[in-house]
Amino acid sequence: MQFFGGSEISPSPPAPTASGNNAHMIYVFNRNGVCLLYREWNRPLHTLNQQQDHKLMFGLLFSLKSLTAKMDPTSAEKGNLGVPQLPGQGCSFHSFRTNTYKLSFMESPSGIKIILVTHPRTGDLRESLKYIYNLYVEYVVKNPIYTPGTPIRCELFNTTLDQYARSIA
Amino acid sequence: MGREVSESCVDSLLTEMVSSYCDRFYANKPELAARRIEAIGFQVGHQLSERYTMERPRFSDNLEAIKFICKDFWSELFKKQIDNLKTNHKGTFVLQDNRFRWLARMSIDPSSEDGDLSQDNSAPVTENKAAQATSMHLYFPCGIIRGALSNLGIPCAVSADISSLPACSFVVRIKA
Repeated sequence: MQFFGGSEISPSPPAPTASGNNAHMIYVFNRNGVCLLYREWNRPLHTLNQQQDHKLMFGLLFSLKSLTAKMDPTSAEKGNLGVPQLPGQGCSFHSFRTNTYKLSFMESPSGIKIILVTHPRTGDLRESLKYIYNLYVEYVVKNPIYTPGTPIRCELFNTTLDQYARSIA
Repeated sequence: MGREVSESCVDSLLTEMVSSYCDRFYANKPELAARRIEAIGFQVGHQLSERYTMERPRFSDNLEAIKFICKDFWSELFKKQIDNLKTNHKGTFVLQDNRFRWLARMSIDPSSEDGDLSQDNSAPVTENKAAQATSMHLYFPCGIIRGALSNLGIPCAVSADISSLPACSFVVRIKA
């Protein structure tokens, strides 16, 4: 499964099939668990403070990925705990759904984890997450002023992301 | 002219060059870092102009040379031409690029989150730092223009103006 695309911002954003604000919040973590970005567009209930919330989210996904890999009935190989794999290789978890929201997850080979929480009836968001990863590469990684490993404070990235999140089905 | 190189590589190399000179070699001496970067640009511009004027006749006057920089030279470097050229007919030219390729992905911190600074001082301070960071990245293209023109026999001084990102203007002053 090929991960990288070709031109300016690729792949081009998947066509929006529904209107309106479906995306609730987004987290971006790096390989070491540093929360690079947290943006919320619609989150009525806040139970924990920011630090605890981020740690909880990171821990949850780490455990879920490990659990899903170990419970895989089709593969005999153990895999390495915590090592990011090429999407499509090995057993990778990509979303869970409750009656009130859907959480979609993607991890890049470099360990950048993107978590998007949306409306429960949202379809498969893997293409959207890949597009967001491309936005990250274009506007954050290639930003001469950004230092890798630090929280993202790039206006261009934030605006493009907000605009794209509004169009997610 | 056959061989090609990935644009991401060039972008990353330029970013690292500016950051090395500003943060490591000449830390706390931004003027020296700026001069060094501009000198590197000068050499590069010198060689590039040699390459891109290989099959052309000599330029008849300064305006023709500047037009060459705006059209062919800029297209070779940035895949587009200069959008606007102004002159005062007394040796000063302003080259405006409405979307300078090397600045297209640069964006600054949208809000200063220092609660310690007083309200009056924080806004100009962060704007200043952002402007300084951006201007460091413009010394290299200024050097390129100066090197290219000097190889064509036109000694000049080039500076950049970044009042509106991602558009930027290069002011060329020809030495009489």
